[in-house]
Amino acid sequence: MKKLLRRLFLLGALAGAVFAVRGYLQGRSPGKETVQIVFDDGSVRSLASNTTEGQEFTDIARKLVEAGL
Amino acid sequence: MAERSGAGTARDLDRVLADLRALSEDIESCAVLSGDGDLISSSHGPGVDRERVGAILAALVNLAGRVARESGKGRISQLRIDTGGGHLLLVRLDGGGVLAATTGPEARVGLVLYDMRNSRGEVEKVLAEGSDR
Repeated sequence: MKKLLRRLFLLGALAGAVFAVRGYLQGRSPGKETVQIVFDDGSVRSLASNTTEGQEFTDIARKLVEAGL
Repeated sequence: MAERSGAGTARDLDRVLADLRALSEDIESCAVLSGDGDLISSSHGPGVDRERVGAILAALVNLAGRVARESGKGRISQLRIDTGGGHLLLVRLDGGGVLAATTGPEARVGLVLYDMRNSRGEVEKVLAEGSDR
């Protein structure tokens, strides 16, 4: 019984460590560029999904994609 | 379908949007928003709240305008957003309105934007004729 509990504890610790490392790596990743804006002068600006502006655009756009126009 | 403007303009805009959808099969829905922020015409299905869709689309256009100002640019001419579940595409019209379309996640977005830019002239022509009536 004691051996089983020890194994369960180790398994839980391992799962927690994997989850934490994955979260850390995702948080440090540069973020996919999800918004592309083309201006009148032909210049282009891209916004990544992990920026505040990029998130604002995708949040609004998601509602329209889901509902349809 | 179209609500505002004269009946002739409404019919013409519906026809232009229908042609665009027939041309670009990746388009799931499309709409025309006026420079005043009114949803002039759309291909929405039943059950879609038009006022809500128009307001959300207008909010997006305002946000894009804000980014353009903050970037020191005049206006946006095109906007492309990947939401993960699909794409939202905007093409600016003369007079400040926009032609908008949604697609699925696997759509050939460059091709859809090309078709939208080609249809822009037709939409602008219909709107100009409508304002002359």
